[in-house]
Amino acid sequence: MSTSGVETAYFRRVSRWKLLLIILTAVLMLTIILSLNVGYAQIPFSTILMILAKRTPFLSSLMDSSSVSYVEERIIMQIRMPRVLAGALVGAALAAAGVVYQGIFKNPMADSYILGVSAGAAVGASLAIVLGIGFTLFGVSTVPISAFAGSLIAVFVVYKISRVGSRVPVTTLLLSGIAVSFFLSAIVAVLQVIAGGRLHVLVFWLMGGFSYVEWRDIWAILPIICLGTAATYFYAHDLNILALGEETAQHLGVDIEKVKKLLLIFGSLVTAAAVSISGLIGFIGLIIPHMTRILIGPDHRILLPTSTIVGATFLVICDAVARVIVSPVELPVGVITALSGGPFFIYLLRKKKESYAV
Amino acid sequence: MVILNIDGVDCYYESVKVLENIRFSEKEREFVGILGPNGSGKTTLLRSISRTLKPHKGAILLNDVDIYTLKSAEVAREMAVVPQDTVITFNFTALEIVLMGRNPHLSRFQIESEKDIAIARKSMEFTNTWHLAERPINGLSGGERQRVIIARALAQEPKILLLDEPTVHLDINNQLEIMDLLKEICMKSGLIVLAVFHDFNLAVRYCSSAILLKEGKIFSAGSIEDILTSENIKSVFQVDAIVKKHPVTNSLYIIPVSTPKSPPSRKLSVHLVCGAGTGTTLMKIMAGEGYNVTAGVLNVLDTDYETAQLLKIPVISEAPFSQVTKEAHNANLEMINKANALVLTSVPFGFGNLRNLEAVSEALERGIPTYVLDEVPIERRDFTKGKAKKRLKELKRKGSVFVRNQNELLSLLNISEEKMKMAKEVPTEILGHLKPEEKPHQGDRADDVKSSNSRG
Repeated sequence: MSTSGVETAYFRRVSRWKLLLIILTAVLMLTIILSLNVGYAQIPFSTILMILAKRTPFLSSLMDSSSVSYVEERIIMQIRMPRVLAGALVGAALAAAGVVYQGIFKNPMADSYILGVSAGAAVGASLAIVLGIGFTLFGVSTVPISAFAGSLIAVFVVYKISRVGSRVPVTTLLLSGIAVSFFLSAIVAVLQVIAGGRLHVLVFWLMGGFSYVEWRDIWAILPIICLGTAATYFYAHDLNILALGEETAQHLGVDIEKVKKLLLIFGSLVTAAAVSISGLIGFIGLIIPHMTRILIGPDHRILLPTSTIVGATFLVICDAVARVIVSPVELPVGVITALSGGPFFIYLLRKKKESYAV
Repeated sequence: MVILNIDGVDCYYESVKVLENIRFSEKEREFVGILGPNGSGKTTLLRSISRTLKPHKGAILLNDVDIYTLKSAEVAREMAVVPQDTVITFNFTALEIVLMGRNPHLSRFQIESEKDIAIARKSMEFTNTWHLAERPINGLSGGERQRVIIARALAQEPKILLLDEPTVHLDINNQLEIMDLLKEICMKSGLIVLAVFHDFNLAVRYCSSAILLKEGKIFSAGSIEDILTSENIKSVFQVDAIVKKHPVTNSLYIIPVSTPKSPPSRKLSVHLVCGAGTGTTLMKIMAGEGYNVTAGVLNVLDTDYETAQLLKIPVISEAPFSQVTKEAHNANLEMINKANALVLTSVPFGFGNLRNLEAVSEALERGIPTYVLDEVPIERRDFTKGKAKKRLKELKRKGSVFVRNQNELLSLLNISEEKMKMAKEVPTEILGHLKPEEKPHQGDRADDVKSSNSRG
């Protein structure tokens, strides 16, 4: 092995990170634009581009958009756009939180729902649906708000249970997360039984999807997910060192309990925000982090942003497929994520399993 | 200049006190071994020094600053820790692991600079792992991996290096290589090295000083040669040990000797005529089996003499390298008189110990059963111009039992013990009546001996 080769290789790899992120962001943008074209109503791609251009400050004056009909513009901007953006935001949040939790728990089975976020959200949403409570807060309707509140309460309870003095050992955190999730799932089951005529609304919410997403939902979760995800990037290098074990990480200057607490808070916040508008979409928070890790390696400084973008892209694609594959009926998007991602993940795992020993 | 001062530290796990009033001070170029049995607080002491377990009382002072008032990154720039075993969750490359050692020197979002890579490379070259730089860490062998972990610790550029049994999972070659390396770093870079050891011989060879812990307290501290005495080892570890200076390495070496907890009690007393190490195994086995073993005449400094001392076997002794005197011979005969059996090992004979053969034939004449362990032909161990050979022949003629190996001997001793028991339980007259019935029984026994021999 040439002596200077190793250093150059390392620097070359690190310097490619920026390029990788730019390319992946471009792919995400392209996916979003292309998936605006997917839907029951046939709208030509040129029209979509024109609608988008019309909304862009500088391009709008250069374009003649008189050929765009009002209906087409409404479909794209009021129906498809929020939905596609919701897919991107939720995918990003679940994938980022998945990476964070797998890093903290050092457990390949950890995903974004590990601390009871999903079960808490389910209880919150079910209560709102079954009891038929109707109110809005800042223009956001009942179900997302109570789902968001439910998931944060669940995480808080899990955290309180696992706390030993000033420390939060991951083993107890993992176990109490599982215990609380089971307990809350039982409550959801009870609510399903007594749901009566609202059962189908409840089941539909539990299956997860973006059918009813509106712009106000996007505005509500956008800051939480963007800021929360970005905040986790501050601790990406700490997550790397955490792989050596908590005690060693502390010996390497990581303020371990503080970092763990902050990451748990950010992870829970973005997951709760995502779940509140999408319902339960499994698979993303577990598989996207693994898939990305297999492809680009375990360094969280690149793994975290890459997973975020890949998660967003993947969920946008899956939602587009879910909309049209058995058109005019929509499939739950969770079905598509599992159906398409599962085999691909298994393929990667088999191909790279020697070097991917978690 | 670095001074690490452990100032009266008490540590608790929950409400259990694990360290009490630990007080010592070290400066650079010290290689300190922390020794003690399991549960004596060695690892706890390391955890306390490494800012992981805060002491309830006392303080860890690094150049007069309490490390628990510093930030973990500040401590990490001064102190590195190598754990016993590191489980690494994700498959980072060796270089990436070593670069993590630079973390305390980097700010958030700072990517490693060329200088950091250069330091990582230096540490890896030092630990002979640079060629593994791009290999995934979980694909390395135990020794390679531990050397990478040590390189990571060195990349921190610490002034203090704490190691918790750094070589415990490694083979002997890797152990020595890593210890040599640590010693070199300690001297070259002026570090304080504090290392927990279970292996006395490794500690003795590399440490300049040591701290011996017992039940959470310092039992003894100072130079390693003063600390590792057989008395200290006995009182801290409850183990008998031979401590000697090795002629080649010129350091101490320690051989722990296990003492059986409760040997079966036997009535039979056996006297051994041995020497030059020919009786060592027999003494150990027979003492372990519960025989009353005696031995003589042995020269002081003879291997068998030392074994006997260790096993607390009564010995008639003679001055080192000198001929068996009349006095010693008589004392030996007196001791033999109390024995139920005598065993002569394949000891080499010179004019110095020829008298011991006399003692054997004397015993035979007094009716004490004698067994001759004839493992090495007498021609090869007779340095008395045939005198010893002649006397040995005589012994055979007079009825000594010649056996080929220790197993055979032990079986025969077993039988004679049974006989002895029976003789005690049953009066002699009646024994005569029983004789015809006893014979087949003895035959069975003889078969047992044969079969056990063929098995052995």
